[in-house]
Amino acid sequence: MKKILLFVILLINTTFGQIIELPSGISLSNQLEFSYDNELQRQTLENWFNLDYSYENFKTGLRYEVFQPNDINPAINRGKVNYSDISFKYLEYEIGEKKSKINTIIGNYYTTFGRGLLLKIYEDRNVRVDNNLQGIKFEVNFNNFRLKAVSGMAENSKAERKDVLRGFDAEFRGIDKLNLGFSVVSNQPYFEEIKPTTLFSGRFAYKFDVFDIYTEYGIKKNSQLEENLNENYVGKAIYSNLNFYINDFSISTEFKYYDNFSLTSYDGTINYNTPPSLTTDYSYILLNRHPFSLNPNNEVGFQISTDYLVNDENKLTVNYGRTYSLEKDSFFKKISNSTTESELLLEDVFTKFENTSNSFGLIFGFGYKMEAITNTKSLTPVCEFKYFIDEVNTIKTVVEHQQSNVLSTDEKYFDDVLTLEWMNSPDFSLSFVGEMETREPEIDKIVRNFWGFIRFGYNLFDNSEISLLAGSRQAGNICIGGVCRYEPEFSGIELKYNVRLF
Amino acid sequence: MIKKAIFILFLGFLSVFSQNQSSKAPNFELENLSGEFVELKDFLGKGPILINFWATWCKPCMEELKIYNKIYEKYKSNNLQMFAISVDNEKSMSKVLPFVRSNNYKFQVLLDSENQTARDYYVQTVPHTFLINSKGEIVYSHSGFKKGDEIQIEEHIKKLLKMK
Repeated sequence: MKKILLFVILLINTTFGQIIELPSGISLSNQLEFSYDNELQRQTLENWFNLDYSYENFKTGLRYEVFQPNDINPAINRGKVNYSDISFKYLEYEIGEKKSKINTIIGNYYTTFGRGLLLKIYEDRNVRVDNNLQGIKFEVNFNNFRLKAVSGMAENSKAERKDVLRGFDAEFRGIDKLNLGFSVVSNQPYFEEIKPTTLFSGRFAYKFDVFDIYTEYGIKKNSQLEENLNENYVGKAIYSNLNFYINDFSISTEFKYYDNFSLTSYDGTINYNTPPSLTTDYSYILLNRHPFSLNPNNEVGFQISTDYLVNDENKLTVNYGRTYSLEKDSFFKKISNSTTESELLLEDVFTKFENTSNSFGLIFGFGYKMEAITNTKSLTPVCEFKYFIDEVNTIKTVVEHQQSNVLSTDEKYFDDVLTLEWMNSPDFSLSFVGEMETREPEIDKIVRNFWGFIRFGYNLFDNSEISLLAGSRQAGNICIGGVCRYEPEFSGIELKYNVRLF
Repeated sequence: MIKKAIFILFLGFLSVFSQNQSSKAPNFELENLSGEFVELKDFLGKGPILINFWATWCKPCMEELKIYNKIYEKYKSNNLQMFAISVDNEKSMSKVLPFVRSNNYKFQVLLDSENQTARDYYVQTVPHTFLINSKGEIVYSHSGFKKGDEIQIEEHIKKLLKMK
C-alpha cells in the first residue's frame, strides 16, 4: 500500500512539475524500481533520491537510498538488506579558473586514475556497482599539470567503512600532444598489524594525425608478500592501446597483462581498481549469455576492433579478442601455488553489417565465443529489421539464435529470442520479448522452456520516464561497459520510474 | 519509521518544487579528442548548444549521433553548437576516437570517463539529450532515442534560432 502511495506521489510530482519552478541552484532526481515476483512471492523496492544545490563555486548534495527489501544477492545488496538512509553526501568548493584552480570535495566522491588500472571509484546503478569513497579529494590544475590526491574509505559487503585508501595522481600535458602520468594508490587495512598494499604506475599517451597510443605500466608492492616470495614487488600490469584511423576505416588494438594486480580491501569485498577488460559489450540478449568477467590477477590478452563505413548507408564492424591465463612463473601462480600452464580463457569474434536507408534499417550480426569459466562454445546469429512507417512510428523485429556446446559434457542446447517493438516518437514504446530454450538431456527426449514478457515505456513530459514490464524472463546478464550483473529468472511485474528536475 | 517519514517528506518536497523551464545547465570542463579541455561556460552567449550523452556500446546512440550530425551540419552556420559527451569508461574509451573518425562526425566529442558530468545532469541511461539556450538554461531534455525524436529537437533549435 505504501509503495502504491509512493508511486502516486511521484506521478503527481511530474504533473505539477510542469507548473512550479524550483528555486535557483537546486536540482533533484529520483529513480524508483519496484518488482513483484509471482513465483517467489517476493517484492523488491529500490529508490535513489538525489538532491543537489550549487551557488557559484560551491556545491553540496546528498543521495537518499531506500531498499525495502533489497535484492537478495549479497553481491548486489552489499549488506543493505532492509535499508533507508543518506548514503552519499558531499561539500565541494572550487577556487580559481581553468588554467589554475583547486577543487576540494569533503564527503563521498568518485574518481578514476588513468584508465582505471590503479583506481576506479564509480557508480553504475544498472550493474549495481558503487564503491564510493568517504573522505577528502583534492584536484589541482596548474598550467600543464593536473594533480589529484584522495583519502577515504569505501563500504565493504557489510556496509561498513573500515580500510583506508590513499592515492595520488599527477599528469603532465606539456610537450606537444604527449601526456605523461604517474599514480600511486595504497590500501591500509583496518587491522594495523597487516601491512598495506600499494600500487604504482607510469603512463604516457600520444596523439598523432592518423594514430594515437596509450600505455600504462604498473607494479604492486606488499612487504609481507615480498618477504615470502623473496621478490622486490608482487604484481605487475601492462595495458596498451593503439588506434589507427584512415578516412572511413579505423582499427583499435589493445593489449593487457594483469598479474596479481587487483587492489581490494583486506576482506576482499571492495574492488578499488578495474583495468580495461578488453571484452565486447553487446546490446543483444543472447550475445550476453556467456559473459566473461575481468580478473585483474590472472589475464593476458588482446583485442582488435575494426570499423569500416562503406558509404552513408552501409557499415561493417569486426571484433576479435583472446584472453589467456598466465604462465606458471607469474606472481599470481607462485602466490597461489599453482603449477598450471597458460590456457585460453576467452575467444570472442563478432562481426556486424548494418544497412540504413530512409525507409528501413537492417543489421546482420554473427558472434562466436569460447568461454573457459562456464566451459562453453557458442554460435550466435542475429538479425534486426526496422521499418520506418512514417516520421514518428517504427516497427522493430529482432531474431536471435544461439547454439551452445558445453565442452565438458558435449551437451548442446539452443536458445531463440524474438523481439517485436513498436516505437512512437517521442512518447512511448511497446515491446514483446519471447524466448524458447531447447535442450536434449537424453537422446530423443527434447525439453523446451518458454519465457515471454510485454514492456511499455512512456516519456512523461521532458523530465521523466516510466516503464512497466509484465511476464517472465529467462536468467541473464546486463552488461554495461564490460561490467555485468547476473539477473535471475523472473516472473511477475516490474515498474521503473525516473524523474529529473533542474 | 522516522527514516521512512523523512523519505516521504522528501518526495513531498519533490512534488512541490519542480521543473524550472529556465533552469541553469550545470557547467562542465571535459577533455576533447585532441586532448584540450573544453568548458561549457566559454561557449555560452554564442547560440543554442545541443548536448548529447552517449557511449560506443549503446546502439540507439549510434543511430542518434548519425542524425544529430546532419542537424549540426544544417544549423552550425546559424551558431548551433554541439557537444557529444561520451560516458565510455576505461573498458570502452579506446573505441571512441576510432568510432568518431570512421564516421566523420563534425561536432565536438568530449570524454566524461569519470561520469561526473553525467551525474551532474542526472543521466542514468544513454542516449540522453539536453538543449541549452545561449543564456545557459536547459530548455529541453529527452532520454532514449526513437526515430522521430529529432523532429522535436529540430523544432526547439529553430525556435531558439528564431527560424520558421
